[in-house]
Amino acid sequence: MDIAVDDAVAALVEMTGVRKSYGGALACRDIDFTLRAGEVHALLGENGAGKSTLMKILAGEITDHEGMVAIDGTPVRFTSPVDAQHAGIAMIHQELDLVPGLSVAENIFLGREPRTRLGTVDVRRMYRETRELLAATGVALDPRRPVGELRTGEQQLVTIAKALGLDARVLIMDEPSSALSQAEVEQLFVVVEELRKAGTGIVYISHRMEEIGRIADRATVLRNGQVVAEFDARAMTAAQAAEAMVGRSVQTLFHTEGGEPGEIVLEIDDLVVHAGRVRPGRREPNGITLTVRAGEIVGLTGLLGAGRTELLETLFGAGSRGRWSGRILLDGKPIHPRKPRTALKLGMAMVPEDRRIAGLALEHSVHANTVLSIVDRLAVAGVAVRAKETGAVREMVERLKIKLRSIRDAVGTLSGGNQQKVVFGRALLTEPKLLLLDEPTRGVDIGAKAEIYQLLGTAAEQGIAVLLASSELAELVGVCDRVIVLRDGRSVAELDTRQAGEADLLAASMGVAEPGTDSTIAADMVELAESPAGEGTS
Amino acid sequence: MTDLQTEPNERLETKTSTATSIVSMLFRFQSLFGLVAVFIVAVLLSPVRDGANIFVSSDNLFNVVRAVSEIGIIAVGMTFVILIGGIDLSVGAVLGLAAVGSAVLMVNDDFGMWPAILIVLAAGLVFGLLQGIASAVFGIQAFIVTLAGLQIARGIARIWSGGQGVAIAYGDGPGEAPVSFSLLGERTFNGLVPIPAIIFVVIAVLAILFLRTSAFARHVFAIGGNEKAARLSGVPVTRVKVIVFGLCGLLSALAGVIHAGQLNQGGPNDGSGYELDAIAAVVIGGTSLSGGRGSVVGTVAGALLLGVLNNILALRNVDPNVQLLVKGLVIVAAAGLQRLRPAS
Ligand SMILES: Nc1ncnc2c1ncn2[C@@H]1O[C@H](COP(=O)(O)OP(=O)(O)OP(=O)(O)O)[C@@H](O)[C@H]1O
Ligand SMILES: [Mg+2]
Repeated sequence: MDIAVDDAVAALVEMTGVRKSYGGALACRDIDFTLRAGEVHALLGENGAGKSTLMKILAGEITDHEGMVAIDGTPVRFTSPVDAQHAGIAMIHQELDLVPGLSVAENIFLGREPRTRLGTVDVRRMYRETRELLAATGVALDPRRPVGELRTGEQQLVTIAKALGLDARVLIMDEPSSALSQAEVEQLFVVVEELRKAGTGIVYISHRMEEIGRIADRATVLRNGQVVAEFDARAMTAAQAAEAMVGRSVQTLFHTEGGEPGEIVLEIDDLVVHAGRVRPGRREPNGITLTVRAGEIVGLTGLLGAGRTELLETLFGAGSRGRWSGRILLDGKPIHPRKPRTALKLGMAMVPEDRRIAGLALEHSVHANTVLSIVDRLAVAGVAVRAKETGAVREMVERLKIKLRSIRDAVGTLSGGNQQKVVFGRALLTEPKLLLLDEPTRGVDIGAKAEIYQLLGTAAEQGIAVLLASSELAELVGVCDRVIVLRDGRSVAELDTRQAGEADLLAASMGVAEPGTDSTIAADMVELAESPAGEGTS
Repeated sequence: MTDLQTEPNERLETKTSTATSIVSMLFRFQSLFGLVAVFIVAVLLSPVRDGANIFVSSDNLFNVVRAVSEIGIIAVGMTFVILIGGIDLSVGAVLGLAAVGSAVLMVNDDFGMWPAILIVLAAGLVFGLLQGIASAVFGIQAFIVTLAGLQIARGIARIWSGGQGVAIAYGDGPGEAPVSFSLLGERTFNGLVPIPAIIFVVIAVLAILFLRTSAFARHVFAIGGNEKAARLSGVPVTRVKVIVFGLCGLLSALAGVIHAGQLNQGGPNDGSGYELDAIAAVVIGGTSLSGGRGSVVGTVAGALLLGVLNNILALRNVDPNVQLLVKGLVIVAAAGLQRLRPAS
């Protein structure tokens, strides 16, 4: 299904024979890749296929590669990201590359701060332009807020705004939507559409198949560092893409049997948290009622800032300190975990939202990261038993099909999706009765997703109760038995996924009866962002 | 669509060339190689008397170990603190306090040797634990807490000693310390092996085993690697941190006891600047100041490297000011080597 390349138009970017290895392992093997002005070119592939590596070469971050890169037909050899920026290339990174201590505006203008005539930083101009850039992404954040305080999704919007600020001719978006919920993705697409019209060449990487069909013109599929297929993205089906990515047909993504749910494991009754210290941007639980039974997978949905993460953190003893009202019952007994260690002892385990910040010690081995939660349990009289640990890790690597060279490799050298599986494996090793998952498939490829869903299904069959927060509506509908809708920290609706679809979830999240148009979504988001954050009504 | 290649589970090529693995092996033992290099240079530069190389004489070598034993013991504790991403600036002051404590308790207050030692060690432990609580529970930065701790320990030592060194005389009478305490300044095995060197080696071996095998050590590394992830994985972060500071205080106090035994006195200003030597030993040993990566083996090698360096510079009668300069350069060189470490 080759598409005719219009030779009349010189390609904006042309990469030929690109090759890059990490210590003997080839991440890119002789890749050819082109990008034309005014097109959205999707780059697909499993975790570890080499997508980010290829794009980092284009963005001048990896410089020890072989092969040629040409911009407008002229061969170039970037020596640094700044070099590439001068050539009009900007990249939105998969792993958010912001400085937590700096404000939103300082991050966006890092390294190119506007100056006044006196040579000082023109703060006012910086704030003004930041507001404009953020408005384009549909989020109204205070430019002065330190980035470290923001939710992952908000940080992702900041990195997008940062890249937009560069006015690039080539914009590489490496999983820009992985932490965004549907409403923010819609706004992102509006931005992408405008850029496309303006003639920007866009590389779009995502593991969410439905996005590709909507936004991309062309799709290139990588597997094991090689180009294995090219598609006209508009005509491509998800099944075709998946097959090209994994190299075999992916039968069922979702695991749908759903046995009989058992006893109630988790019961939350009108939970309200009055944080001792109000942290801006946090949406503490403010009236949550829900139950999860053994063997049941219950979803949590809502817009960015609806309080999904805060609810999971509260349950896991990792939330804000402060007074509570309402009740949390685990197996019928009231609990009030104040630290994760207690929560783990009670039989809960959590896969946190951002694996780099909250999930992994990237410099440490896969082994150390995987067994961390159970080192004391496996130890005999305080002495760690290496063989037992290795056995447990190997088994997990096998079960989750984690792609790695050795379990002694630093976890930071794995591809994003495989890193996520390590966090997942650590949680499963604790043999929890309640599994709390915050975006567990963020950045995970379609094959691995199917495997994780399978695992979730198996876990549920074994009687584990699962509470799953996700911004991917298809995932919620496909995996969960029921979905709880959160808005402003409150549980406002409960939908049965046998009847409700994605549109219903979106509508309920936004508090409108009908699925809204783009403009109503944006309006709703602005309203949400401007309402005083973290304020608890008593 | 083009025909797809099969073999879905084919992995990336896994062969790493032997050259790279040898290089990374070398780097793993980087601190030992530094020690070996400095050792060889020392042998070559050593003065020779009556046809014998003075540096390699067993007497001199044991002297090197004895000379680094105090710093070495402290550096072992410091390694743990730095592994969790902390720092302890109070160690030298705690050493001074412990030395004063040992002297005052035995000489002025007529305590027996063991009661005095135990009290002093317990004081060091509690001092460290309190610093740990201030930093881990109340969230004050370790640098600030232990900087304050340094002043406080010095203050207490000065008040306790009346501002002057307390000399230790040995005997059975009042105002005299038990004779057995003087053993700390002596040598055993036919007057060959200094007691402090033995204590240092025992502590080092215990710490190496502890760091290699204990579940506690896994928690230590995890905290240094990513504290938030460690907490969410159920690591008792606060408890581990407090214990680590306590351990460092305890080892500093032990070094202080040895110090008093070796010098036969306890001075309130003893141990000034030791914190920097200890940190240097840890860093030369390859432990990352940002935490999560390092080893006690490295630290011991780092301490010995500094000891050999001091020793040879003294044997060659190098101007003390030049000595400082050379030491500084060696530390920078070792830290630079660390940055060259291949990512693997
Ligand atoms: N810094 C590194 N050191 C060693 N190996 C690396 C490094 N970065 C990437 N790799 C390896 O290169 C391969 C390609 O990784 P890359 O990050 O490009 O994958 P990807 O297609 O972007 O995957 P994902 O969808 O998970 O983001 C993987 O096998 C990965 O383990
Ligand atoms: Mg990637």
